[in-house]
Amino acid sequence: MKWSQLAFVGRRVRHSLWELLWNHVLTSGTMAMSLFVFGVFILLQENLQHLLKGWGDQVQINAYLDTNVASNEAQSILERIQSLPEVEHVRHISKEQAWRDFQTALGAQSAVLEGLPVDVLPASFEIAVKVPSRSGPLVEELASRLEKIEGIAAVEYPQEWVERLSLIVLAVQWAKWVLGGILFVATFFIVGSTVRLALLARKEEIEIMQLVGASEELIQAPFVLEGMLQGTIGGGLSLLGLWLFYLFLQQHFFLAFPLFGSMIQIRFLDPHSIALLLVIGLLLGGMGSLFSLRRFLRTWRG
Amino acid sequence: MIQLFHVTKTYPSNSPALVDISLQIDRGQFVFLTGPSGAGKTTLLKLLFREEEPTEGQILFDNQNVTRLNTRGVARLRRRIGLVFQEFKLLPRLTVLENVALAAQVVGMSRKESHIKAYRLLRELGLKGKYDSKPLMLSGGEQQRVAIARALINDPMLVLADEPTGNLDPVMAEETMRVFLKMRETGTTLIVASHNLELIKRYGSRIISLRQGGLVDDLERVTGAKAS
Ligand SMILES: Nc1ncnc2c1ncn2[C@@H]1O[C@H](COP(=O)(O)OP(=O)(O)OP(=O)(O)O)[C@@H](O)[C@H]1O
Ligand SMILES: [Mg+2]
Repeated sequence: MKWSQLAFVGRRVRHSLWELLWNHVLTSGTMAMSLFVFGVFILLQENLQHLLKGWGDQVQINAYLDTNVASNEAQSILERIQSLPEVEHVRHISKEQAWRDFQTALGAQSAVLEGLPVDVLPASFEIAVKVPSRSGPLVEELASRLEKIEGIAAVEYPQEWVERLSLIVLAVQWAKWVLGGILFVATFFIVGSTVRLALLARKEEIEIMQLVGASEELIQAPFVLEGMLQGTIGGGLSLLGLWLFYLFLQQHFFLAFPLFGSMIQIRFLDPHSIALLLVIGLLLGGMGSLFSLRRFLRTWRG
Repeated sequence: MIQLFHVTKTYPSNSPALVDISLQIDRGQFVFLTGPSGAGKTTLLKLLFREEEPTEGQILFDNQNVTRLNTRGVARLRRRIGLVFQEFKLLPRLTVLENVALAAQVVGMSRKESHIKAYRLLRELGLKGKYDSKPLMLSGGEQQRVAIARALINDPMLVLADEPTGNLDPVMAEETMRVFLKMRETGTTLIVASHNLELIKRYGSRIISLRQGGLVDDLERVTGAKAS
């Protein structure tokens, strides 16, 4: 295709965007909605994954001490745990430290703690497990051994949660593609119907272009470009929606679960996912146009 | 330049529109295609610019087999053919100038160049001052000349016109024929399908008559002899 023909295509696209403005806006809007739903799933998935990764990297086991354990006893328990072959290192968290950590985590909400005694939280050990022992059953086995040590009241390990949450993440991942797929197919046909309208509006023009020997690509290019533009704009709109949704979550998640919410930092989509949404929009728009274009042009010729 | 070998065209669920037509048209000829309604004139023209494909037989245009072209080939063929229709087929939303220039732009001429060329053609065809009008503001004869300008803008080897005077009064029809005659001077081959016996008698140099899909007469004026 020559430069002059590209310019021609550009003029066609500009014309058509004006002529069928509302159709294009509606199609972009529909695409934005599909991509938004898809994006919400990505947002969910990414945040869960991030959470999991954080937990997985952190302390593998928390061992809480009985409240009446003296600090020299605590020291000997620490040394005992430290000597276990699976243990990488142990950190002692005193009652005061636990209190301060909790305060920081609550941030602005820390007023709820007022009036409580400083030693209300138990002291604990944060135990990091060596890499080869980090799998579920091994951690579980280690936890049950730790629980039997004199002076330890309870043992908790996020691993349990990590595994349960991993299943949820997997479910979200699947739901994303299944639901996304259905929405995309629907969007594909909506794009098709816009193309059909645009084609009907320009039926005469296309017929004349065919009669004077315009190439197939030249006839199709404006429609495909329009579709791609629509898709990308739809992708952009969905990102805008997702951003607003994210801001909303950040505020309201925090208010709804002051404790839990304050400890979890919600993140926005990572750049990969942003690009993914835009690319899906672009492809959906472009291919949707091309597909229905070919179908309609073929039926015209009989 | 154009050769038809035993061409038959049957539309689905219809008796044949053309039956076993063989003929040759040379470069620069001015050919009238005539015959009663339903004789197959339009069908013959459509075969030449590959709007339709023959059911049987072969068609050569400039030594190229028209029946064997793919989409790309059809587009390339049509760039060498100018088409004029009875109903003009102008785009009502574009100006006269844009209607003419469009045909050149789609085959790769720049906007500026196409406008210059369209100006020139329209002026030659007596449409000076109408460049920016919309087609529907023009008279039938003027619209027909716009259509002719569009057919000529890509310097076609062959111009096909289907009932170009069908919508025109006798004065306008005469005018259109004079434009066609002038075209001959540049060596363009011209095939005009028409019922208008008056005009045919006055201007035709070769007259091909069809009836019910068959070739019934092929009269060459210049030599006065009948060719088959
Ligand atoms: N698209 C079509 N589908 C089916 N039959 C057709 C089609 N076009 C033409 N025919 C038939 O083919 C025959 C020849 O038609 P054609 O249009 O070529 O005649 P014509 O000589 O141009 O007539 P007119 O002078 O009325 O324009 C007619 O019987 C017509 O009914
Ligand atoms: Mg006809």
